[in-house]
Amino acid sequence: MKAFLKKEWMEWIRTGRALVLVTVFVILGIMNPAFAKLTPWLMEIMSDSLSGAGLITTDVQIDAMTSWTQFYKNILPGLIVFLLLNSSSFTAEYERGTLIPAITRGLSRRKILAAKSILLYGSWTLLYTLCFGITYGYNAYFWDNAIAGNLYFAAACTWLFGIWTTSLLILFSSISKSSTQVLLGTGGTAMGLYLLSLFPKLNAFLPAKLMDGMRLMQKTDSPEDYLIGITVSGILILLCMALSTVCFDKKQY
Amino acid sequence: MEMLTLSHAAKHFGEKQVLLDVSFSVPEHTVFGFVGQNGAGKTTAMKMILGLLTVSSGDIMVNGIPVRYGNTPTNRFIGYLPDVPEFYPYMTPTEYLRFCGEISGMKSNEIKSRSTELLRLVGLEQEHRRIKGFSRGMKQRLGVAQALLNRPKLLICDEPTSALDPAGRRELLDILTAAKAETTVLFSTHILSDVEHICDEMAFLHEGKIALKGTLDEIRKMRKDSAITIETEHPKDAQALLQTFPFLKMTDKSKLLLEDTKQLPELLHCIADRHYPIVRIERQEAALEDLFMEVIRK
Repeated sequence: MKAFLKKEWMEWIRTGRALVLVTVFVILGIMNPAFAKLTPWLMEIMSDSLSGAGLITTDVQIDAMTSWTQFYKNILPGLIVFLLLNSSSFTAEYERGTLIPAITRGLSRRKILAAKSILLYGSWTLLYTLCFGITYGYNAYFWDNAIAGNLYFAAACTWLFGIWTTSLLILFSSISKSSTQVLLGTGGTAMGLYLLSLFPKLNAFLPAKLMDGMRLMQKTDSPEDYLIGITVSGILILLCMALSTVCFDKKQY
Repeated sequence: MEMLTLSHAAKHFGEKQVLLDVSFSVPEHTVFGFVGQNGAGKTTAMKMILGLLTVSSGDIMVNGIPVRYGNTPTNRFIGYLPDVPEFYPYMTPTEYLRFCGEISGMKSNEIKSRSTELLRLVGLEQEHRRIKGFSRGMKQRLGVAQALLNRPKLLICDEPTSALDPAGRRELLDILTAAKAETTVLFSTHILSDVEHICDEMAFLHEGKIALKGTLDEIRKMRKDSAITIETEHPKDAQALLQTFPFLKMTDKSKLLLEDTKQLPELLHCIADRHYPIVRIERQEAALEDLFMEVIRK
């Protein structure tokens, strides 16, 4: 498995996927505090046209929360870019037939699945931490992070949401033949669950709840409210991995 | 000892029956030709041997161990060269061989020495570029090196020569012949001259069944006596002969074909008596090609 992990790593570096993703997550990390810093200036520029429209701008209060709000808005596009760039991680190998030499050499399919999963979960974790860390650093420098409640817990929830969507990506990668199917499957399921979570009664039970990081920070919600969502996500992740293993074992080439 | 045995192997994809009943075995240290038209099911049969496809019914044994679908233990005896070998384009040949070697559990210094040896054998020792820019022939040669890396007991090649130019084909056949000393080779093809060049035994796959199998000599003997072509100098002589011997077949205005060779002495006698000038009398070569055509017309 070490050899396959090494190959996956080489693929990340040499195809430029790692560079693109690191750049995207660094930019997102910097954008959050930058946008917060720029808000008063933007409001000033726009105040003339806004007052023309009958709106009066007052002094805007800028603090770490403004930046964290941006963080929770921007992390979703980041996650989508991550999923998009990794959607062909399996399917490109099926299409080109590059896994066949590995399998016919006796590398077990579970090891291939494990290597790819480790890299996907690991890279999401690293990229997410990078983005979080940059925002955290700037926020601490410009303002004060103490204003935000449940800071780390909220961040961990969003991270878990990313892990859940990644497990969906892995599941659909072991079922489908093309990256389009993978994206449709992953996007469709995530979207479906998101729509379900719009029903207030279901909201607490679904992984989409984990994306409500702001409510935790503003202390409108307490961590206990997320326990069911976390448990459900955990079960779904395990289920996805179990199903992926079964499907990947059965895949015909 | 038999390196590979298929007994009554069958495969269907849904309603479509691709292989009906395939049985043959490959003895150790032979080059075995697996012949069939395009779409006869050669690749399907090979993928079943490799455990990449399920077997609908029947058994396959490699080195005395049954093949099972998915993670088959028999694959550690096998080196496989797919019809269009694909590699990771961002690796160099040496890196790719190292990757293959590490997967097979080879030791680092062994991978190094074996890679150097094989890259020299296939003529890629000077290539330090990434595989991205490789031609089809270069990929095919790297494929052979990859397949031979861990000294497999059975080398399976799927139409290794069909995409190559004559020089490349010759080279590849030489490599396969050289490999025979170390391993058993099963290779599929529809190019019969390749089979005649390097195979010891062969099997014809037709309509999902083995239509013909045996050593090359046995198969040649199976053919009826070869026909004889007689070409006269003047077309009118050929006409006259045809009238005397109605069993002859006219293939051209001065060419006759004699299928029943027992009649040859009588025919020659007649030609001598009448002093017909003859351009040539020729016995047709018993080519596998004819046999192939006979099999598929049956």
